[in-house]
Formats: sequence, C-alpha cells, structure tokens
Amino acid sequence: MAVIHDVMPAFELFQPGSISDAVALLNRYGASAWVMAGGLDSFDWLKDRIKRPSVVVDLSQVQGLRGIKAANGGLEIGAGTTLTELARDPQVRDNFGLLAEAAELVASPQIRNQGTIGGNVSQDTRCWYYRAGWSCYRAGGNICYADSPTAINREHAILDADRCVAVNPSDTAPALVALDAQMVIQSASGERIVNAEDYFIGPGVDITRMTVLAPGELLKAIRIPPTWAGAQFYFEKVRDRNVWDFPLLNVAAAAKYSGENIAGIRVVINAAAARPLRLHAVEAAVIGKPRNEETATLAGQLAIQGAQALRYNGYKIPLMRNLVKRAIRGGSGTWTS
Amino acid sequence: MEDKDVTEDIPKNVSRRNFIKGVVASGAVVSTTGYLWRSSALHGQQASAPGSVERLITLNVNGQDRRVDVLKQETLATTLRYKLGLTGTKLGCDRAECGACTVLVDDVPRYACSVLTHTVRGRKIATIEGLAAADGTLHPVQQGVIDEQGFQCAFCMSGFIMATVGYLKTNPNPTRTELAHGISGNLCRCQDYDKILTAMMCGAENMRKKA
Amino acid sequence: MAAPKLVGQNYTVPDLVAKVTGKSKYAEDFRAEGMIFAKLLLSPLPHARVTRLDTTAAMAMPGVKAILTFDDLPKPADSINDNGQVIFANIDGEVPLTNEPVYQGQPILAVAAVDEVTAADAIEKIQIDFEPLPFVVDPLVSLRPGGPNARTKGNYWFIPPPAPAPPGGGQAQNPPRPDIKELKYADGELAEAKDGQLPILSTAPETWAYGDLEAGFKEAALVLDETYVSPDTSHQTLETRTCMAYWQNGKLHIYTGTQSTVQTVGGVARWVGIPPENVVVVSEYTGGGFGSKITGGISLIIPALLAKKANAPVMMRISREEEHYIGRARPGVRSRMKVGFTKEGRITALDMFSVSDNGPFERQGDCNNTGVIASLAYQPKAMRFRGISVLTNTPPRGPQSQPGGTQSHIVMEPVIAKAARKLGIDQVAIRRLNSPEGKALFGPPAGPKAVRQYVTSAFIKQALDKGAQMFRWDERKLESGKRKGSKVRGVGVAVSTYSAGSVGFDGLFVIKPDGMLYVQSGIGNHGTGSVSDCHRVSAELLGVPWDKVVVTSGDTSKNLPWTCPSGGSQTIHAMTRAAHAAGMDAKKKLQEIAAKDLGGRPEDYDVAGERVARKGGGPGMTLAKAAQRAVELGGAYDGHELPKDINRFTRTSATALVGQGLMGVAKDNYPHDGQSRSFVAGFAEVEIDVETGKYHILDYLAVADVGTVIHPRNLGGQILGRSMLGIGHAIGQKWVYDQHYGVALARRFHHNKPPTILDAPQHMDWAAVELPDPETPTGARGIGEPPVGAGACAVLNAISDALGDEIFRRAPVTLDMILTALEAGRPTTEPLTAHI
Repeated sequence: MAVIHDVMPAFELFQPGSISDAVALLNRYGASAWVMAGGLDSFDWLKDRIKRPSVVVDLSQVQGLRGIKAANGGLEIGAGTTLTELARDPQVRDNFGLLAEAAELVASPQIRNQGTIGGNVSQDTRCWYYRAGWSCYRAGGNICYADSPTAINREHAILDADRCVAVNPSDTAPALVALDAQMVIQSASGERIVNAEDYFIGPGVDITRMTVLAPGELLKAIRIPPTWAGAQFYFEKVRDRNVWDFPLLNVAAAAKYSGENIAGIRVVINAAAARPLRLHAVEAAVIGKPRNEETATLAGQLAIQGAQALRYNGYKIPLMRNLVKRAIRGGSGTWTS
Repeated sequence: MEDKDVTEDIPKNVSRRNFIKGVVASGAVVSTTGYLWRSSALHGQQASAPGSVERLITLNVNGQDRRVDVLKQETLATTLRYKLGLTGTKLGCDRAECGACTVLVDDVPRYACSVLTHTVRGRKIATIEGLAAADGTLHPVQQGVIDEQGFQCAFCMSGFIMATVGYLKTNPNPTRTELAHGISGNLCRCQDYDKILTAMMCGAENMRKKA
Repeated sequence: MAAPKLVGQNYTVPDLVAKVTGKSKYAEDFRAEGMIFAKLLLSPLPHARVTRLDTTAAMAMPGVKAILTFDDLPKPADSINDNGQVIFANIDGEVPLTNEPVYQGQPILAVAAVDEVTAADAIEKIQIDFEPLPFVVDPLVSLRPGGPNARTKGNYWFIPPPAPAPPGGGQAQNPPRPDIKELKYADGELAEAKDGQLPILSTAPETWAYGDLEAGFKEAALVLDETYVSPDTSHQTLETRTCMAYWQNGKLHIYTGTQSTVQTVGGVARWVGIPPENVVVVSEYTGGGFGSKITGGISLIIPALLAKKANAPVMMRISREEEHYIGRARPGVRSRMKVGFTKEGRITALDMFSVSDNGPFERQGDCNNTGVIASLAYQPKAMRFRGISVLTNTPPRGPQSQPGGTQSHIVMEPVIAKAARKLGIDQVAIRRLNSPEGKALFGPPAGPKAVRQYVTSAFIKQALDKGAQMFRWDERKLESGKRKGSKVRGVGVAVSTYSAGSVGFDGLFVIKPDGMLYVQSGIGNHGTGSVSDCHRVSAELLGVPWDKVVVTSGDTSKNLPWTCPSGGSQTIHAMTRAAHAAGMDAKKKLQEIAAKDLGGRPEDYDVAGERVARKGGGPGMTLAKAAQRAVELGGAYDGHELPKDINRFTRTSATALVGQGLMGVAKDNYPHDGQSRSFVAGFAEVEIDVETGKYHILDYLAVADVGTVIHPRNLGGQILGRSMLGIGHAIGQKWVYDQHYGVALARRFHHNKPPTILDAPQHMDWAAVELPDPETPTGARGIGEPPVGAGACAVLNAISDALGDEIFRRAPVTLDMILTALEAGRPTTEPLTAHI
C-alpha cells in the first residue's frame, strides 16, 4: 500500500484541437496514454498516485466533441458535451427527459458544469478497495477485497458478480440504455457503433474494464434514436446524501401505453452490478399488462430474482424491488433532488 | 466553445526562446520565485506532435491578461494561489468535493482544484478578488453576506459566493430551493446552511435591485 | 443602568469585509522568502515497527532539502505547572513522527523540498520496511478474551488514584503517571453479547455511583435495558491543519489555524523544547475547529522542526486524506443502559456502561462524560456509571463539540423516547419532568468529602416550554406515524447540555489619548465572533461606541492577554468576565483621575458617552483627556504598576503597552458558585419514504438556555451551526474501516458523508430563553456544545416517532438500516461492529 496519496505526478500533456489529432495521439501512445475529458474521474486516480500515465490526452479543446444536434429523427450528442448542457438542452428535455433528469442528478453543479456525458458513462467503478490502489482482480491481482467475510461492501453488487463485486456508478448510463442509445467509437482505423446495452461490460467479459473502449479508441458521440421520444419516463436515484453522492441504486424506465396497458417498455437498473442491467424478464412480463399496483408488484419481485447479498448490501434487494415497482407504477414522488 | 486558439497562443512569428527571454526581461511574466513547481521533462520529442503544449501561457483573470509559466499537471487553484497570489480561492479537499476552490470560467462555476490550468487558456476566469469594484464597492452577493452574516470560519465563503454569482447568471430570481440546488456543490462545516442560503438570497435580491 | 447599547445587539463583525473579498489570510495564504514545502510519509499499516529506513536516494534528489524522522525529535520531557506540580511526560503519548506507527496514516517522516512534486516523488524513493504488529480497530474485539491489543503494553490507560493531599496543605502532590495495561472480558460476561446487547465488563476501570440504585429499580414501574451506539466522526474542518513555520533570530514563527492564539504558544514550546517566549504564533483566521485545533498539535511541530533542519521556511499543506488521519475525531461510544422509570416517567435509577473507542494515544474524557452528562440532563435519583476507553489502532481522537455529551445523548435519548411511548407520556413532558433546575447536582461524588458538583443555573424546562410552543408540538405530534402513500412523518424532541464557561482569565486594553479603545484579544478567530463579541462588554461599561474600538488579535507578538482556549463553550463566559473586570478597572481609574483633577470623590463620577463626569450633571472630561492624564500620572493608570494576580503572559503583554494611555487590566476574580452549564431543547420533524428508507428533515428548532444574549446573530450561528454538526451524526456521518486489514476505507467526503445543503433541514429556527445566569456579571454562558446532541437526537427521536422503536440501535440512521428493519420487523444492521 502506498505511503503517499497526494500531489499529482508530472506527465506530458497533449491538447489536440480535433478528433483526428486526438485519435492520432491515442494511436501513437497506445495504452500509455490517458484520455481526459472533464477530468473528474482522472484527477482522483492521478492525485492519488495510483494510475501513473506518462501521457495525458486532454479533450477539452476538441470542438468536434461538443454539442447536441438533431439526427435521424433523434439526437446526436457529442461525447464532450457537459452534463449541465445536456440537462438544460431543450431537445433533450422535451423528448428525452429521462436523460436530462439523470444528468441533473449527477454529483454536484460544478461537476456537471465540467463533467461530460462521455466521461460519465465511461467512468471507472468507485469500489473503495480498488480506488485505494489495492491489487485486486480489477487492478490485475487475484483477489477481491470487497468480497471477503469481513469486507465492508454496502455499495457493492447484488447481481452478475464474477470475482469482482464492484458496480457501475453512472447515472446517465441506465438512461441511455433505456433509450436504446448507440455509442459512436472512433479510432485510427475508423468508426464503430455499439449499442449502449453492449457498451458496458461486466467482469466476466473483462475484469479490468467497465466498457468496450480499447486503448486507442475514443467515444465520439452518443446517438439517441427517436424510438422512445416523448415516452413516459421514470428515473429515480437513491443515494445517502442528496447531492455529491453516487447511486446506491438508480432505475431508469421508458414506457409506452396502449390505453391502460403497457405496450412497450425498457427498464434498467444501475449500481446493482458492474454494468447497467436491462431487466428483460421484467419487460417481457409486464408488456400487455395494465399499469397498476399488481403489475408493479410482480415486476418488483421478478427484478430481484437471482440477487445475492454480500454482508452489508442486503438492503439493495428490497430497494431494487421497490424501485422497479415504482418505475412500473410511475407517478411522481421522486425524492432524489 | 469560445477558445478557438487551441494549440498555442504565442505569436507564430516570434521564435519561442526569444519570446520567453523577451517577456522575462520586460517583467511581464509573473514571478514564480520560490513557488515554482518542477517541470515534467518526461518527453523531449513532443514539440512537433499535434496538440503539444507550451508552458508559458496567457490567463485572463479578473479581467486582466496574465502571462504565467504553468506546468502540464498544474491545477487552476495552484496557479491562482501560488503563481498569481490570489489566495482567496481556498483548497478544502483538492478532490472536487467541497467547493471551497470554486471560481468562474466563462461565468460558469468550476472546482479550480480539478481544472488543469492549460485547459482554460484564453478563457475568462473570475475569482473572489475580482468581484468588488475598483473603488471597493462590494459585489451585491458580497454585500448580502455582510448584511446577513451567514458564515462562521468563512473558509468555504469564497467558494459559496462564486457559486452563487455563477448560478445567478443563469437564474437571477431563484426560489430558496432553486438556489440551494444551485449552490449545492459547496460544503460548509461550521454553519447550518440555512443562514448561508439567507445571505445568498439577500445577495440575489441586492443584484436585482442594482440591475 | 441604561439600556445596553452594545450587549444584546446585532452588529457587523470587524473581519467580515476581509472575508468576503478573499483578503483574509488563513495559514496556507502566508508566504515567506525562500519557502519550501513538506510532505509526509504515512504508515500503510495499522501497527508496525520500522525495521529498515534508507533515505539516501530521496536525499540525493535535486531539490530535496531535508528529511525529518523520529530520531530528530526532542525527547518528551517532564514539565512543571503553575502550581509547582511535575507533569510527567507521557512516553506512550502521541509523537509527531514515529518508528512504531500505531494507526494507518500515522506520519513516519517528513520531506522538505523546493516544491511539492519533488517532496512527494522523494517520499516514493524512500526505502522502508515494516514488521507488522498485532492490531485492532474495534474496541469490543480488543476486549474479547485473547483479543489483540492496540499497543504492545495493552489496551487501556491505567491511571493510578491520586495520592492523598498532605495533611495541613503544603506542596500539592504530582499527578500520577498514567500507564497502559490490558483488560479483557471474563468468559462468562461475553455470553450476554447475543441480541446486540453490550456485554458488561464488570472490571471496567472508570466507575462511580451515587444514590441507592437497587431501591431506585425497585421503585420503578418500567425498567428498560437498552444498548445504543454513537459514531466515530472526524471534525473535518473545512480548512485542514496546514501550517507554515520559520525561525528568525532564535524565535520560532508559526502560521497556523488555532482555537487559542495564546495557549498554542505553550503547547508548541513544550513539543519543540524551547522556552515559550521564543514562540510566535500567528493565527489571524482559523478555518473551523470544533475542538480539533485547541492548542495545536503535530501538524505544527513537524514544519517547525523541519524548518530548523532545512534552515528555510517550511509550508506543510495537509491534504484532506491526511486530515482524516491526523485531524482528530470524536470517539464512538457504545453504551448499555438499564433505566428505571416511575409510571409518571421520572427516572429512579440509571445503570450505565460505556465503551469508548479511544484511538491509540492519550485517554479521552468522552467515556466518563457519557455518564456525567446523563446524570445532569436526566437527573436520575440514583446512578452507577462504569466505563472503559479502549485503545485501538485508529486515528487519534480529540474533543469534538460537546465531547462525550453528544454521545451520551445519542445513547440515552432513544431510551427516554421509548419509555415515554411505553408509559403513554408526552415526549416533551417526560423530558421536562426529568430536567434539572436551579443549582442542580450532577456527576460523581468527588473530593475528600465526596460531594457532588452543581450547576450555576438551569432553565431547560423553560426552553422546552418555549420550544413546544414555537414548534406547535401538540398540534404536529397528532400527525405522527400517519402514512400518505409511501411517506410517513414523525416529530422528535431532545434535550442536551454541556459545560458553558470557565473563569480566571485576564482582560487588557488601553484607552489612548485619541479617545479610542484599543483592545488586546487572545481569543482564537474561528468565526464564532467571540474575538470581538466579548470585548463589547468593556466598551459598554465605558460608554465607548463600537466604531471607536480597535481589536488586536491573531498574533502573539502583538501583546495579547492570557485567554481561555475557545473550546468547551468557555469563551463567551470566561472572556466577558475578563472584559468586564478590565472594564471595571478602567472605570475605577477614570473616576479616580476625574476626582483628582475636578474634585470630589471617585464615586461621585459616572462613565458614559465617552466622558467621565459628575453624576447628575457637572464637570467632567473626555476619555481622550483622561487617557492623556493617565499617561501623565503614570503608576497603575498607564500600566506602570500592574495587578499582582494577572497571568505572567498578560504581564509581559501589558508591560509592552505601558505609557500609551489609560490601561484597563484585570484578572476575572468574580465569584462563581457552581459549574456553568448551558442547555438546548431541540425539535425536529422528519418525513420518511418507507419504500426506500430515505428521509428528509422538514423542520428543526433549537431553543437555548444560554443566559444573557451578547450578540444574537452570532448566537444563532452557534446554535444552528452546531445543531447541523449534530444532525450529521444522526443522518450519515461515519467512519468506515476494514477490520481485517485495519485500514480506512472512507477517505473522502463522499465516503464520510458530512451533510450538504440539501441534507439540511428544509426550515430551521432558533430562540433563547434569555434568563441571565446569576453567577456571572454579564449573565452570559457559552453555547458551542449543547446544540450538537439536541440536533442529533431530535432527528433520531423523530425517526422512531414515525416508525417505532424497532428501527435502529445505532447512529447514524441510514436508509439501508431503515429499509432492512422495516422488512424484518426489527433492526438487523450489525448492532455493535465498529466503523461499518
């Protein structure tokens, strides 16, 4: 364990002005390059002296990463768009209020003023063993310190754990999955498009990464199709403090109705696993059913099937059940802001 | 985004070395004696790479252009406090959690502890020292604090004032709840927040009266 | 007497403009020519011995100026106090640097370099090997038979009983030398640990009793046997304990934040091993203290010694994480209380056992205070207290606003609330019934005659009455427990008390021939306002308008008087007394000068309106003129002769101010029958969402019994500010430690959860009962401490009011605790494990 966790070590800094320059730099420096967007996740690692990149590629000057525009009936959001810009954007608010609400609940105003949507969805986990620099699975070691009989794991996973029990802490990620967004990834060899649902990966796929982004790749933009524009949305974030806190759990849902019945729905929970989980079983079970307490209760029960508690996170199971229930039941009563 | 000059702001027709010599001789560079952080010097080859960064930059702080020698990893709070002598911006956590270092960058509240100085070249930076008028007349939000005395130790105060000034630019007539959300990125350990909010609401009212 | 013009009135404190413009200088804002920077190497292990230390590579780095290790420290030396007693150096006490760290994060060495990056890089170049030693971060684990000890010698401080005083007086005996010993539960005692009850350690070292406990329980209609736990919480002042130090002409200059400008000098001198006259402390502004910066500590000593070794000014910025380690914290306490109540709710007997987490160093008073405060706040007819403050390998504790008192209320208030519900008594009524009044007795029998102490006055019943009315208690409680959708509301009331003033300090000022009153203030400036508020008493007595008062403070080279530390709510009591004494001294001198010059007797003259003049009209002179005459007359008038009883610190300062005008200088010798204690009644309303466990505080009211109000706005700041500190204990503030590795997991604000503006009550208010304390000339008592417990417990009681008693056994009460308890129908969060 480190004997000092302070003072950012020196690094070489590049500030490309265009996406092509940025990608060229990432290509040139490969795994030794650290991509910095808003920098809020990065600074924590760098100031703690745990991650020691020799090269930092700062994206703040890349004009092409900023802004929100209408595209193909939906929206294309530059990955460098700040969370405040996202939360205030009329196109987002009018058609995809779920995402605006999620963005508004991230951390604090100053962080939203600087943090980007690309950074928020690509951020690393906040497991306090891993973040303190312990040599766990995720850090390349062969143990999970958070999954031992004495570990304090109140914030950790109840679903889909595989050696590592860390969770994804993003608020906007589940909203993007619920909206069926697509992630536009650029590298020197070209562009590829990944569904939001597949962008996030669990430890079973790669225990050292939270997303499919590989060295040399840059998340360029996020496309939101018109599919769920103007649908009924539900977002709720449960956290200890009412500002500047990561979710203990959050839920995002988008639904369409045919009369009283649920015609289509996507329900996503985050901070329950290492990636936002789309609750396919819940979706399948409630489609065609009326939106009422009975359906909501059924959804809640289904949601937690297979959930496994660690020593200190048992509360997440009833919490997830109730959040999913509320997401189906809908209505006001969001407590998170 | 406002900053079009994304690579380097040194005039292209002046060789870099001569330029540095020139400004040092003319005294235009802020003195960093004693507080200069060491350079990185990790890579010598980067000068030709796209996006490479020069250390000597211009910062616009409180309406003045200041030439300053900035390390690659230097944060805005460090530059302000240790290079420009603007110690009103406080470091409470250095981890973007407490808000004591809040300054405005192009009118937007940011945690100066978590902004690389190089990312705000040519941007408009405002600190607590720049709020009062040249004749000493306090900014309406500063006056709100005098009127209501909302703080105790006041280590958090500059951050709260800057966060409020920034928030009021987007919503000049907030409700108490709205303003509380607007300044919720700032921690206070002495007070109850209720009086801080009262002082800041008073500041908002002072601003509206003035406007 | 004319209506006060200053006392009881709001005014703008003199340092506010500097604060709002960013010009106020806190420790890290000072610069010195040639200043270098220090960083610390911290122990990665909770308990270890350094077996190899090689600093060669670090020292060889360009820019590294000096490395300070344990070997460079002066050895702890015995000292002699003002009574001639020898205070033995505590060889097992805290040291600035160490080769045997006893908590993770303890500083091992410090590197000074031209900049912080170099210093930090140099620390990573230091070769250091550790031999791990047994450790423990949970006091109950240490108390188990065979459990690990935090210190090689044991797990608690054994303090021998003081030697009896010699017959017929004479030289006082030296205080006994404390020692570390080992104490464990007997096997049978642990069997009780089931059901979350705290097992009683029958051999607990801190023990006292009064009254007939057995008879008290016999008389009781209801006996409860409950265990509750309070959290360990860091002070987390927003300014970390950064310090800059340099040496000049043999004197050590320290720039720091402190709660006691004056008394920090002695502490630094002892640690560094130099005479106090060679220490200058500059502390113009202090960024919060709450008890953690009373007289300085290792964060001052390291840069002081490093500056000497490097022969350069050293700035040691303390990071937020380092602040967690060295920044002090409140000891968490787990208590078991057997309490007997009559059917009317009166407490007949209290049998209390407390286990406190002491951290690794000097014994903290919190444990014993849980008993003392319970005995005062709830006036049990008979009581037994047993307790132990257990050493652990966790960061050093220190007093935090209402030390021991907050914990006492956090463990006791839920028991009172439960009893009221069981007995069908109103929550305000049961507290009123058990509250002290008049010169109420409290604490253990003490002294050769085994008598109990008593308070100077207590008006908590009045505070409860006023609060209940302001809060519309009777109306609001009707809504308790009623569900609306997933939401349910509850109201809570709590009482809280703590010490509120010391005596015997000095006042010092000079009225100069310009007619201005120049006050010397040794009070620390951490924003409570007492650094100016107290001195308004002098100005009031002399009829000097506030704009003609200049207060000098914040620098011990500027001739400051002997002053209490601003901790333990002492200041407004102690220093208004001193200000009053100095004011009366000046008034007497003014009357004498007037009589000398204008005829008659001194008592024929009044001092008012910047003049000393004949009563009922007649000749007089301005204070400016009188000041001029004082200089001409010399003697006591301008400070050439000083009172015999003032502290030598004051004497030195007053001597430096001789001949500048009329000097007011005196020690507070006013009578003081009893111990000054203040009280607060807190009222809260919460709304809880039973589907998430999340709750919001809708309203909070604190009503204080604090005697005469000196400065309403600052009083309100103290009452609600400290209430918020307490509310943090109820809603979320905590430590988190991994027991297996003995290290801190919560290292950031978002881990430790100090409350934000959006966690604060949506509405807050305060009031004072405004009944003067009869035992002090200004009638004012201090208020820093008691709001804490009231804030914490009003919220806790509101939660159980909404949801019933089977929700929590420990604070803070977080949403996971509520949700799991509602699911299971009983509290399921581990009741006794520390730091979860």
